Amino acid sequence: MNPEEKDLQINPVVPENVIHNTKTIADIRSLTSSIFGIAAGILGLESYSGFIFYLLGSSIVSVLMVIFIAGGKPQNYFRGTSEIWTLEVFSGSSLSSFILTWTLFFGLLRA
Amino acid sequence: MATVQAQTILRDPQLFYWILFPITVVMILTGVLRHYVTVLMQSDPKKQELNAISEQRNLLRGVNLRTNHNQIPLSSFIARKNYLVAAYNRGDFLKDPENKGKPPANPMTDPAGMDQMMNMLKGNMAMMVPQTLIMGWINAFFSGFVIMKLPFPLTLRFKSMLQSGVATRDLDVRWVSSLSWYFLNLFGLRSIFTFILGNENSADQMAQQMQQMNPAGGNAMFAPGQDPNKMFLAEAENLEVVGGQHEWVLDGVVDRLLKSRV
Repeated sequence: MNPEEKDLQINPVVPENVIHNTKTIADIRSLTSSIFGIAAGILGLESYSGFIFYLLGSSIVSVLMVIFIAGGKPQNYFRGTSEIWTLEVFSGSSLSSFILTWTLFFGLLRA
Repeated sequence: MATVQAQTILRDPQLFYWILFPITVVMILTGVLRHYVTVLMQSDPKKQELNAISEQRNLLRGVNLRTNHNQIPLSSFIARKNYLVAAYNRGDFLKDPENKGKPPANPMTDPAGMDQMMNMLKGNMAMMVPQTLIMGWINAFFSGFVIMKLPFPLTLRFKSMLQSGVATRDLDVRWVSSLSWYFLNLFGLRSIFTFILGNENSADQMAQQMQQMNPAGGNAMFAPGQDPNKMFLAEAENLEVVGGQHEWVLDGVVDRLLKSRV
């Protein structure tokens, strides 16, 4: 048996835990994305600057998640250290919440 | 473009209070309604008799043994494997031993499969009907004008879809009609539904609904169109194949523990 398989037997990947972790991240991201959308709309940001604002905001949220929720050790919870930065950033729930609230507040306050 | 902008500014507050918020509120309420209707319409899972359940569970036992065979010592594994392989080949767990060679049950006639298909159909109907109704309502009442400006630009091909009622040539694609607000809401409210209704809510889109079906219909493997005897025999073969290599996980565990503590 090759080393990766053996490693997987010794430290198995439990599906329920993976799902729970991913759901936690998705919840946090969609909530914060709505708030970032409100901020982007109020600031009146247009196309590119709006999306850059969203990416910046997501990275800030990722940093906070690593510090406070993962306790500084994301590799305990996810495969590799880089997964927590990119997981669910472009997924349906967070990006579309951002666009929804961004469009709403941009339209409300543009005048 | 300057003239259109001036026009919209004049009517702004009324537009938003009468159009944007009502559409959003209606969509949230129909989503919640749809969730509860789906929950109420789902028929209870049918009680199966003991030998049907035993058939499914014993097959799962074989699968579990195959996937986790390295976690138990070799002697235990061999004992379990021999028992299961012999039982599968004899057909001990079959629900109807007389049906051994016959073709599998047709999902149309088998009651368990029928039940599940009805549930899926009901779920689909619960999704499609409100969406169609709301789109028709929006087209009837809210067409013929642009309502807001998107913060980001899109290509020209979206123009016909997003500016459905207004037929101008050089209006920027960023000005959209209320139908596009409906689409934005459709995608953006999914996270809000997750917060209000908890996970696995039925107001979500179809893909997540399909996922919800799978654990509930765990007997999907067995009822529609699968021959249990063949599956047992295949599982017995798999177990034989796997029995070839066995590496007990706890083999070098003392060394591993000491190495990790160093």
